[in-house]
Amino acid sequence: MNKYGSHFVKLFSSGLATLAIACSGIATAQQNTPLEACYVEGLQDRLMCGSVSQPLSKNSPSEKVEIHFAVIPAIKQLHPKEAVLAFAGGPGQSAIEVAAIFARNLKYARENRDIILVDQRGTGKSQLLQCDSGSIKEQFAFDDQALSFITFTQEETNKCKAQLQVDLSNFTTVAAASDFEAVRIALGYDKLHLYGASYGTRIAQEYLRQYPESVASATLDGVVPMQQSLVAIGDAIDGALNEVFLDCMADNACLKQYPTLANDYAELIASLKDKPITVKVRHPRTFEEIKLVITESKLRGAVRMALYSHTTRSLIPLVIDSAKRENYSPLAGLLGNETTLGGIAMGMHSAITCGEDWPNLTEPDRVQYSQSYFGKMMIESLDAICPIWQVEPVDESFYKPVKTDLPILLLSGGLDPATPPSWAELAMVNLSNAKHLVAPSATHGVAAQTCANKVIGQFINTLTFSELTTDCLDKDNRKQYFMNINGPVANQSKGKTND
Amino acid sequence: MMKLVQVLYKKEMLDASRDKRSVMAGLYYAIGAPIVMCLLFTILLKQLSSPEALEITIENSDAAPSLVSYLEAYDISHGQEGNTKAITLIIDEDYELDMSEGRSARVTIVADKSDNKLIKSVRRLEAALARYNSEVAGLRLISRGIDPSIMRAINVQTHDQATPDSKGGMFLGIATLSIIIALFYSAMNLAIDTSAGERERNSLALLLSHPLSSTQIVLAKVAAIASYSMIGLVLVLIVSKFAYGMVPWEQLGFSINLDVMFILFCTLIGLPIALMSASLLVFVSFMAKSFKEAQSYVAFVLFVPIGLSMMTTYDIATDYVQWIPIAAQQYAMIEVIKGNELPLMQVILSSFGTLALFAIFTMLSSKMLKSEKVVFGL
Repeated sequence: MNKYGSHFVKLFSSGLATLAIACSGIATAQQNTPLEACYVEGLQDRLMCGSVSQPLSKNSPSEKVEIHFAVIPAIKQLHPKEAVLAFAGGPGQSAIEVAAIFARNLKYARENRDIILVDQRGTGKSQLLQCDSGSIKEQFAFDDQALSFITFTQEETNKCKAQLQVDLSNFTTVAAASDFEAVRIALGYDKLHLYGASYGTRIAQEYLRQYPESVASATLDGVVPMQQSLVAIGDAIDGALNEVFLDCMADNACLKQYPTLANDYAELIASLKDKPITVKVRHPRTFEEIKLVITESKLRGAVRMALYSHTTRSLIPLVIDSAKRENYSPLAGLLGNETTLGGIAMGMHSAITCGEDWPNLTEPDRVQYSQSYFGKMMIESLDAICPIWQVEPVDESFYKPVKTDLPILLLSGGLDPATPPSWAELAMVNLSNAKHLVAPSATHGVAAQTCANKVIGQFINTLTFSELTTDCLDKDNRKQYFMNINGPVANQSKGKTND
Repeated sequence: MMKLVQVLYKKEMLDASRDKRSVMAGLYYAIGAPIVMCLLFTILLKQLSSPEALEITIENSDAAPSLVSYLEAYDISHGQEGNTKAITLIIDEDYELDMSEGRSARVTIVADKSDNKLIKSVRRLEAALARYNSEVAGLRLISRGIDPSIMRAINVQTHDQATPDSKGGMFLGIATLSIIIALFYSAMNLAIDTSAGERERNSLALLLSHPLSSTQIVLAKVAAIASYSMIGLVLVLIVSKFAYGMVPWEQLGFSINLDVMFILFCTLIGLPIALMSASLLVFVSFMAKSFKEAQSYVAFVLFVPIGLSMMTTYDIATDYVQWIPIAAQQYAMIEVIKGNELPLMQVILSSFGTLALFAIFTMLSSKMLKSEKVVFGL
């Protein structure tokens, strides 16, 4: 793939990453499927893996898609007829690939119940819809302001479409829900406790809507309400970054070290918008000298992705301050460190966004969302790529909030740069037996931080809210900002002489 | 001939059941052992595991607020007097300076690592510090424009073939040990009473005066004793099933689950052991001159099966021991709990071996009963 393509993919993924959907098929009962032992990266435990064959679409039942899944066995199986079904985010992440993360988030739930991970159609091992993404070297050298964003986006999409050769309409959230039901039947569980993170909350809600009989409870972590377009994410990103600036002002050491942080950032953006900066940096891994074209979108994208975890978040003031002083190494480091996100299957990602988030954008929506940089960028890119993919828009009923009296636990992080607490409130309107817990200092994905994994374990065991111990969610788990390239401690007045 | 043995068996069972207190005393082991064992396990697990909120002493914590709050996120904090574990984390005087200048900043853990109650907590602290270490080091590299993944020159992945059921290790050994021992202990009193006891009450001679062969008498006695052993075994299995289910094993990441299949399997392989145990107990009791002496011998002889069982429990020389009766059956029981393949060869061979021992002991006992010296305890 050429240099534009790679960058396009990266831009696009950083634009949307954190939500996901699936398309509905016909849940055909499978005979019990053979399972075999398997292992995944970062998890020592032996899992059981298998697959079920599902019709690709209702119209052509002969075409099949093989849906792969893995079961993390319970430590002490007390409920053999129940399991926890975990939905990955993205949209486009493979649930099986991030099994180690789920195993941690669901550590307590796993004590007595199996955990099921299903690669949603279009991701991971289930007919992965991925297009090549460029190397770091290509991404660094690419100047996304030099030519029309629309043109290069379209070029890349056409290439990706030619490569994949599929109708993405079969890969929406609505279409995928039946695959999960087929896996449940194949494994012989009566009831499932759903756990969705990020986009995974959307597919969890859709599954709940289509198969309420199969569900015992749902935990939605970083909630995407059905009635909300992912494009609305721009405000959350701006809000989360603003929290960094406020944090730093409230902290004496940080204020002393970075007194004009918000201003510096605004000035940097303005100057990059005007004219990108080209510098020579070292390749983050190979140490080869390479060209880095710093553009507004690269700076914003790198800072945005850093907001997802407290660890990288602690670098943001340093990155901005250094860039202001024309030291771009920290920025290059952040730009080269996006591996943590895990692979996003861009084809599947487009199926979701073009089928679900783009068709129902009204003119007022567009105006509203375009007020933020990322909202505007996402609308522009969807406008460019969706007409090429031609994903069939999902039915209007898809955007109705889910209505149920099953117990639903909603979790939000106060510093979430993707799905802020207000989104969960929106998702709750028709949930009659729901509780929304906010961890004020958590970022995206509350269970991975704080003690929420314990709360989820309690919730699944008791299915009540009154007995949950939730004080620990209030614990401040922000990390101190890096004061220099060595760590969170500001330079000392005295010094050792041997440097 | 079988008819006579049956009649005699009925008589022995009736005899034994008359003394309800001593029957119960034998069975107390079967009921009590798993419960006591599980209580001990629960306490042990609590001691072995680190408390959820680990409180230690942190000296000079002002110098490293970032490290301290990192530890707090893992529930390790500076505690007040009282609940604090005897672990001290000393943050070096030069910590801030070293940290700000990119040197390795020293922190010292002071603890007694031979203290079993502390070891988990110390390891937890070490692990948290190691994570903080790599987090800060990773961010230092990113700040210099370097991908921290270069620090992982090799990506080590471990594929643990254990299942949650097979991680029980020594706990499984002790659990199965207590089940096997039940076969020997449940009917120990009965065995002594029906042999050495009968002799002292002079009813043995009476029995021998009937038109019965001594083999028939021994067989009937052995069968009655084995029946009580089996009752003990079934009891211990049922009580264990519930008792072990109550222990919070999952805190240590494994479970011990005795399902119905396991209970049936144990009952099946327990039968030859029960016969062997009964014949052994009878043989030893007849060897002794008096009731009291028999008690001592029996207690002594029982060390042999317990020793064999211990060898499996503590995994000593399993290659050879696996084939010896009792050790082999216990090994098979552990494999069944773990959900592994049943070592069929071992089970069959050792069961035949066990039955052969039963035959030998029975033969020896019946031979002894032909001697007046033995019958009258001279």
